[in-house]
Amino acid sequence: MQIKLRQDTSFIEDLSKNLSEENNLSSWELFQLSYHTVDSTITRKFSGLNGPKLLPHVNFLTHQLACAQQVVEEMNGRAILADEVGLGKTIEAGLILKEYMLRGLVKKALILVPASLVNQWGQELAQKFYIPAVTARKKPLWDQQDIMITSIDTAKRDPHRDKILSQDYDFVLVDEAHKLKNSQTKNYQFVRSLKKKYCLLLTATPIQNKLTDIFNLVSILKPGFLGDYESFSKKFNKKNRNAEDDQYLKRLIQKVMVRNRREDTNIKWTKRKVETIYVDFTNREADVYQKIEKALANKSRFSSLVYLRELCSSREACFLSLKKDIEQETDHNAKKNKIDLLHEIEQLPQHAKAIEAVELVKSINDKCIIFTEYRATQVYLQWLLQQHGIKSVPFRGGFKRGKKDWMKQLFENQVQVMIATEAGGEGINLQFCSHLINYDLPWNPMRLEQRIGRIHRFGQKEDVHIYNFAIRNTIEDHVLQLLYKKIQLFERVIGNLDAILADLKLSNFEDEISSILAESHSAGEIKVKMNNLAAVIAQAQSLNEKEQKNGNRESS
Amino acid sequence: MAIENLHNFLYDYFSANHCIVTSDGRHLDVQLTDVLDEKLMNRPFYWQYVRKLGMNGEPQMLKLSTEVEDPTSDRELIHFGTPRLQQIYSHLQEQGKFVRLYQKLAVNNQTPLIPWLVLNIKISFIGKEKKEELRSIGINMINGVMISQMIESLEKIDWESSICDYCYPISPLIRLRNSYQRIIDYLTEQIKIPEHDWAIESWKRMQEEKELLAYFYKTSSDNEKDLYQTEENAIEALYQPRIEFEIVNGGIFHISKSTNIPFTDISQNEQ
Repeated sequence: MQIKLRQDTSFIEDLSKNLSEENNLSSWELFQLSYHTVDSTITRKFSGLNGPKLLPHVNFLTHQLACAQQVVEEMNGRAILADEVGLGKTIEAGLILKEYMLRGLVKKALILVPASLVNQWGQELAQKFYIPAVTARKKPLWDQQDIMITSIDTAKRDPHRDKILSQDYDFVLVDEAHKLKNSQTKNYQFVRSLKKKYCLLLTATPIQNKLTDIFNLVSILKPGFLGDYESFSKKFNKKNRNAEDDQYLKRLIQKVMVRNRREDTNIKWTKRKVETIYVDFTNREADVYQKIEKALANKSRFSSLVYLRELCSSREACFLSLKKDIEQETDHNAKKNKIDLLHEIEQLPQHAKAIEAVELVKSINDKCIIFTEYRATQVYLQWLLQQHGIKSVPFRGGFKRGKKDWMKQLFENQVQVMIATEAGGEGINLQFCSHLINYDLPWNPMRLEQRIGRIHRFGQKEDVHIYNFAIRNTIEDHVLQLLYKKIQLFERVIGNLDAILADLKLSNFEDEISSILAESHSAGEIKVKMNNLAAVIAQAQSLNEKEQKNGNRESS
Repeated sequence: MAIENLHNFLYDYFSANHCIVTSDGRHLDVQLTDVLDEKLMNRPFYWQYVRKLGMNGEPQMLKLSTEVEDPTSDRELIHFGTPRLQQIYSHLQEQGKFVRLYQKLAVNNQTPLIPWLVLNIKISFIGKEKKEELRSIGINMINGVMISQMIESLEKIDWESSICDYCYPISPLIRLRNSYQRIIDYLTEQIKIPEHDWAIESWKRMQEEKELLAYFYKTSSDNEKDLYQTEENAIEALYQPRIEFEIVNGGIFHISKSTNIPFTDISQNEQ
C-alpha cells in the first residue's frame, strides 16, 4: 500500500517574497477570520454527520439520520435509497448532499428528477437544507451553475446532453430511479455515461418485476459488484436458483442499498380504511361488454382484454381505442363488426361506475383524489363532476412542470377533486388529502402502492380512506376479488411485495394477469388460477414476515 | 475556534473589508466596495469596461439573509455549505494568508520583540472517508522552541501592523526557511506515528472495487473502454489514500519576551 503525501510547497516561497516586498500582508482581523473559516469547515472525525446540527430547524427522523450516516460512512456516497414511499427519501438525499457540501467534497451536482418534481425538489433543498439549487430553465448553463435540478428527459436531449456529459460531477442524484431498470434504454445509457463521484439512486420500488432490475441499478453505482449481466441472470433467473445464492445476493445488495420499512420506523402511522364499492352495469352496458367478449375473443384474447378493461372504465376510453383499431383493420368483415360495436358504444348512457363515483365524491364532501388508468376517462370524469357542480383538476405525466405545480396548488387550496392518471401517481405529495378513489385498479400491485403513497405518507394526520370500484361480473371483479383482496394489499403496507414478486419469477406481473384472463376458458378457470396466484403470494408474504420477526431485516 | 454565529461572522468579514453593513440579526445589507464587488459579484466585464472608460464603478448592494425567506424575496440565502459562503471563505483564505504583526505595547523603555514563525496547517487524511486536523504551530526564531495551539496565545495579544514606539525587533537566528522546515519536519514525523488503519481499509477497498470493475468489463467490447476508464478514475478519486498538508495561513509575529506564552516545547519531544 502507498499513502500519497502532498505538501504545500508554494507557501513558504510566497511568504518570504511577500515579507520582503511588504506586499499582500493581512491585518490581524482577516488573519483570524481566515483561520476560523477553515476551523469551521474541517471534518474532524471520519464518522458522524456535521449537517444536522447546522440545520436545527428541521426535525430529522431517526431512520433518516441513520440512513444518511450509513451512506456517507459505509457506502461512500454511492447508494440506492429505497425506503418505502412516504418515509422521506428526499430528506435523506438532502442530508447526504449537504454533508458532502459541508465537507467540501461536493461542489458540482446534478439532480435528475421527474419534470413534475423539479420545483418541489428545489424548494425542499432550499428550505430544509439551505442548498441553493438552480432549476433548469430554457437555457441552462450547465458549466456554470453548481447545483442543477432538471428532468432526465431534458438532460438527455440535445443540446444539453453533450454539455452535461462533458461536466465532471461530484454528485449525481436520480429520483424515481426504477425507470432506469432497463439497461437498453437511452435514459440508462445516459446516466451511466455521466462522470460522477458520488451517486444516489432513489426509488421506492427497486425491484418492479425481476431481479435484473436491481442488477441494472447496482451496475450504475458499482459496475461489477453483482458480476456481469450474463452470469447474474443465469444464476438468479433460472429455476436452479437456491436459497444460499439468495442469501448471498441479499447481503451484497445490503451493501449498496438502504431500505427502511414503515414498521421499522418509530413513526405512528395513521390507519388505512378500505372500502370496496361494487357497481352493476346497466343492461345495455352489460350487453356491449358481452359482445366485445364474444366478438373479439376468438381473434385475439389479449386485445379483447384491453377493450373490456376500457369499457369498465368509460365509454370514451373504449370508443377511442376501438376507433383507432378500426382505422387499421384490413379485413372487411371484421371491420364491419367493429363499426357496429362502435355505434353501440356511442349510444350507451352515462357510465354506471362514473355516476356512482360522483355520488361518492358528494358524500365524502372533502378533498379526494381519483385515480384512473385512462386519459379519456379522466376527461369524462371531469366533465361529469362539472355537471354536478363539483370542481376538479386533472393531473397527468404529460403536463409541463409549471402546470403540475399549479394543479397541485389548486387542489390544495381551491378545488375538491384531483383526477390523476397513472403518470400522476409518482412523486407528488398530497398528504393534505385523505381520501383516495381507485376508479379503476392497476394490474401491478407496486403501482397501487405508489398511488396510496401519495396521501399515506409522513405528514398525513388523518386515517386514510381508500375506495375501490369494481363492476360485478367483469374482469375488474376478478382482479379485485381474487388478487388484491386475497393478498390484503390495501390494508397492509406492502411489505416485501416487490421482493416476493421477484422471487416468484413473474417476469411481468401485468402480463401474468393478462394471460390468466386471456387464456382461461371459463370464469371458473380464471378463479382457480387467480386463487392459486394469490395463495402463493400470501404464503410468501407470511413467510417473509416471520423471517423479519426473527431479525432478518433487510435493511440494517 | 469554529464559526458559531454565521451572522456575526459575516458582519465581521464585511466590516473588516471596509463595507458598510446594516444588520437586523437575520438580514444583512452590505454596500460593497469596488474590491469586494469584483471579488464576489462575478461581473468581470463591467469592471473591465469601467476601467477602460476611466470611470468610477458603482459597486452593488448585497442583500443577504441567514434564514429562509419566502421565494419572492430578493434576498440571497446564505448558509453553511452554500456557494456564496464558500466564495467568501476562499476570499478570506486569500486575504488572510500572509502576515507580519507586532505586539501592541505601551512602553517607554527600549523593548526587544522576539520573532516567531507561526503556521496554521490543515492536515487532511483522505481515504474512503476524510478526516482533517487543523494545527497551529509556532517556532521561536531565536531559540527554536516550538509550540502547538499557538493561535490561542496569539488571540490574547493585541496586534499592530507596524511596530510600536520604543520597541525593536530582534533579527532571527534561525532563518525563515529553516524555521519553516523544522515545523514541516516535525509534522511529517508526527503523522508517521499512528497506525493508519483508515488508509489500509481504503486501499483494500480500492483494489476490490477495481477488480470488480475489471470483471464487469472483461466481456465487454472495445467501445466501452472509455466507460471503463471513467469508472476507474472515479474509484481512484474516491479511495486512493493520501495525506495532504495545506498551509492555511502564517507569518511572523513579533512578541515581547515578557509575554506569557504557556508552552511545552514540542520540538524536544520527538528527539
